[in-house]
Amino acid sequence: MEKKSIWKRMKDSREASLVIVLILLCAAVSIKNPAFLSLNNIEEILKNNAVTMILALGMLCVLLIGGIDISIASTLAFTGMSVGLLFKYGYMSSTLLGFVLAMAIGALCGLIIGLVIGKGKVTPIIATMGFMYIYRGMAYVVGNSQWAGADALGDFKNFALESYLGFGLINNVIMITIICYVIFFIVMKWTKFGRNIYAVGSNPEAAEISGIHVARVKIAVYTIMGLLSGLCGALATTVYASAQPDMQTGKEMDVIAACVIGGVSMSGGKGSVAGALLGALMLAVIAKALPLVGIDSLAQNTVKGVLIVAVIILNVITKRAMDKSNLERREM
Amino acid sequence: MSEYVLELKGITKIFPGVKALNQVRFQLRPGEVHALMGENGAGKSTFIKVITGVHRAEEGEMFLNGKKVEFKGPRDAQAAGIAAVYQHPTSYPDLTVTENIFMNHEMKKHGMIQWKEMNKEAQKYLDELDADFKSTAEMGTLSVAQQQMVEIAKAVSTHARIVILDEPTAALTANESEKLYHIVDKLKEDGVSIIFISHRFEDMYRLASRVTVFRDSQYIGTYDVDKITNAELIKQMVGREISDLYPKPEVKFGGEMLRIENFSRTGYFKDVSLNVRAGEIVGLTGLVGAGRTEVMEAVCGITGFNQGKVYLEGKEVHIKNPTDAGNYGIILLPEDRQKTGLILSWGLGRNVTLPILDKFTHKGFINEKEERNLAKDLLESVDTKAVTVFDPASSLSGGNQQKVVVAKALAQDNMKVVIMDEPTKGVDVGAKAEIYQIMGELAQKGYAIIMISSEMPEIIGMCDRVYVMCGGKVTGELERSVLSQELILEHAMEKSTKKEGA
Amino acid sequence: MAGKSGRTINATPENVWKKQIFSWEGILVIIFIAVIILCKILSPNYTFTNVLREMPKYLSEIFLLFPMAYILLLGEIDISVGSIVCLSATAGCLVSNAGVPFGGVVIVILLTGTICGAINGAILVKFPELPSMIVTLGTQIVFRGIAEIVLGSGGSVSLSNTDGFRMIAKKAGPFPYVFFLVIISAVIFTVISVKMKFGRSLYAIGSNRQTAFYSGIRVKKVIFTAYTVMGLFAGIAALFLTSALYGANTTTGKGFEMDAIAMAVFGGIATTGGKGRLVGGVISAFIIICLRIGLGQINMNSQLILVIIGILLICAVLLPNITGNMKLKKKAN
Repeated sequence: MEKKSIWKRMKDSREASLVIVLILLCAAVSIKNPAFLSLNNIEEILKNNAVTMILALGMLCVLLIGGIDISIASTLAFTGMSVGLLFKYGYMSSTLLGFVLAMAIGALCGLIIGLVIGKGKVTPIIATMGFMYIYRGMAYVVGNSQWAGADALGDFKNFALESYLGFGLINNVIMITIICYVIFFIVMKWTKFGRNIYAVGSNPEAAEISGIHVARVKIAVYTIMGLLSGLCGALATTVYASAQPDMQTGKEMDVIAACVIGGVSMSGGKGSVAGALLGALMLAVIAKALPLVGIDSLAQNTVKGVLIVAVIILNVITKRAMDKSNLERREM
Repeated sequence: MSEYVLELKGITKIFPGVKALNQVRFQLRPGEVHALMGENGAGKSTFIKVITGVHRAEEGEMFLNGKKVEFKGPRDAQAAGIAAVYQHPTSYPDLTVTENIFMNHEMKKHGMIQWKEMNKEAQKYLDELDADFKSTAEMGTLSVAQQQMVEIAKAVSTHARIVILDEPTAALTANESEKLYHIVDKLKEDGVSIIFISHRFEDMYRLASRVTVFRDSQYIGTYDVDKITNAELIKQMVGREISDLYPKPEVKFGGEMLRIENFSRTGYFKDVSLNVRAGEIVGLTGLVGAGRTEVMEAVCGITGFNQGKVYLEGKEVHIKNPTDAGNYGIILLPEDRQKTGLILSWGLGRNVTLPILDKFTHKGFINEKEERNLAKDLLESVDTKAVTVFDPASSLSGGNQQKVVVAKALAQDNMKVVIMDEPTKGVDVGAKAEIYQIMGELAQKGYAIIMISSEMPEIIGMCDRVYVMCGGKVTGELERSVLSQELILEHAMEKSTKKEGA
Repeated sequence: MAGKSGRTINATPENVWKKQIFSWEGILVIIFIAVIILCKILSPNYTFTNVLREMPKYLSEIFLLFPMAYILLLGEIDISVGSIVCLSATAGCLVSNAGVPFGGVVIVILLTGTICGAINGAILVKFPELPSMIVTLGTQIVFRGIAEIVLGSGGSVSLSNTDGFRMIAKKAGPFPYVFFLVIISAVIFTVISVKMKFGRSLYAIGSNRQTAFYSGIRVKKVIFTAYTVMGLFAGIAALFLTSALYGANTTTGKGFEMDAIAMAVFGGIATTGGKGRLVGGVISAFIIICLRIGLGQINMNSQLILVIIGILLICAVLLPNITGNMKLKKKAN
């Protein structure tokens, strides 16, 4: 089989161009401020953005099947609060149990959403909007206007400070992020389930005719999204050493933005794990870099928003140019 | 072993409001190529979907090798060794050819998909079919013919014993069709039984040993291909002699209404010039993808064009969008009634009046009573089979939907030029005749008519003059007196035959 | 003019009062009555005047409902309106504090909103390939981001001169001025949607954009207008919100877009476009407001109220799908 030239591959692949942009960005910032690429700083960036990076994986799947989920931050808060309060009132002290429980609650939350969308045939944006209210409200209700601070969390908060999962070298939180990415990379590329997700998003009717249970795939995807939200609920609690009912409000938009910047299509079927990662990293680096290059951190959101709009418009323009050149090549 | 690999008896399938299949039967012998013929809307595609388990029949039985089977879904049919290549490729445009071929029967080891082996295996199938693309190519970048080949490779890869091909040659050139014939021959040699749906008689003669005809959702008969004449077969398909189908009136032509000159749009058509006079019916034909629809859509401002001029009654006009076209009196009846012609969820009345809301809007308010009565008159004038103007458009048959589209055009009383894109596609025979009738009447009233059509008989039956397009160019202009199927085909295939010669 | 076959088609509408009662709007009226009775039982303070007194703080959100309903009818969505409210309110407060007279302040607020809406509309019309969800997600972040920049590190601004704002917050008898404006807007938007060409165009585009375009409806113009009006009404909402809060901060209007969408969807307007009526949206808005006031009076946790509204919303969209499925099954049998 002929090998495509590396250059051509780069040009074709969105991921490659993202990598280049990311490298250039990092280089530019570190010239201005050499501390940027220090190990400490990198660890800091990764740790603080672990939640976005992990949620981007779930959102990738959701967007791939042509859906959307804006309830994830609420699920995250609900699970974070549930776990935090269990620690606070001493019902639980095991860190492991905390994570397992958070993931279980999250998966259950996601399963319910999946059933409403997959079986009840409700449009994803509306279903997840409803559950955004419900789960966020439940985060407040379980807390009964209490919250769990650092003192209440006991050992759990130390998880984010230690690195026993990373063999003493890599912070636990970062290690979990890496594990998630490895699992998803394998699942999305090498398992039938992963490929079915792509198939459902690419052409749902054809998927049904091919014998794929479309409703089941949808339910599974939203359950996974919930599970990851639960995981992130626990992670956010340990990273910030507190669980509050209003934690991570609006996170869903960051996560969707990361995916879109990473080239995941909102209409389904297109997108990759690497893209989701790069999109999330891009947002993280920009957020960290702005103050370093002298732009007020207040402008962070504006830059992020402009970036999203610019990226999607750029996509359309390049697509149009490509279509046009294809047409010109067509023989008459 | 029973005489038939597949036998269906008394199959009835009902869609809301329509009986798509009515007590249909079918028998397939082992190793034969069996053609399934019938007009659009005769129920062939629905029948195929019943066999493949996509639809479940309300009544009837199905036997596989003499054993009664009941498919609950496409999975069951696949497991039983039935594979189908549908009319519209059911592919995944974002995925690679390999994945399309192996969708839902991937090669796995320890639960992991074996990409290397799968790519290799897929390439093997493609090579067998003489494909000119790689298995790692993305499906969306392939041509329709190439995608069709992938679909066939997919059927082969499941080791199906029964393969169904639904109009596989519709979008293919002569050269590509020949390739497909070889593939079918090869399958046949391997003992695969094949059901072949096609509108082309040449396909049937070249491949099939027996042919079954459906008409109006019913089974008409099964014949040996070498024992039935062409005329006889058409009679079975259409249900009557074909000559009385085209009530073409003699009309004295008026002055030139529409003329387009040197019309070009990059990648779609080039240097197209044509004209139509008042009272004239001009045909625009050619193979699918020749650029016929694209030219007319550009004329009506639906898409842009790069160069060329449009004249209406001798004066140059600039049309930027469909609203302009409507204001000039150039009305397009689009090919796809469901997607661009009608709003299916709306009542008939509102569909008809959509382009002429200003007519009964007084001081900004729509007078609904006036609207309803106007719609009623228009719908009655084309003899629509409906109870009230509130009936949703989706409840009508294809032919009656087409009448509503005609009524919608008639509503625009500044109309001068009518462009009908495949006006009888998916329309049953009875309604077809009525549509031709209306077309004739419109010509008599002095409208200029352009009919885009792929169906030779209606082109020959209805048109005063015919433009033939091929590969985005007009390759012939034929007067009614010289029209013949052969002549049209010759012009329609000009390019592809030339290419083969070279 | 009967056809050749002499077949006639009926054009007189049936007497439809039965249909009206069993329509979603009919059900909503019943729910509305049930909510009021429920609140009356729960809270002794639930009187007409009390409810009206508490209403203004919820009413500004209703201004967003009307144009949002239009946008949903088009099959589009706008999740940037909360940010537009924030930016408009911020702009208004800042110019007011800079000494601009109240008339000028009003113009600045409305103009800011309108321009933001027009930007959304322009992007969507220029790049029809883009889903409105993602475009307005981007502008949502940008609009609030700009407000964050101009508000600076404090993140909030208070009005130094509240005279003008106090004036528009006044009442005529028990009714606040804003109440009348809401009712007038509701009537205008409803009438346009059912009686005028623009309204018909909305439904046509939302039901089948291609057919509408082929039929000569100016699709781009309608979409642009809808988004611009959305911006203008976000400005109006900002005006009344400011008159209640006497200031603005970076979280002003957060979540308003979701509330407006929820009201519309609960009112039977489908996000897929072309389906639903404004009347339903208006009734559902008042259901939600009256419920909030009632549950607020018995000191129910405001977050628990959100849970209830969320559950109501999910049930409202699930119900027609489930009954629809059952009907189909019946038909099949």
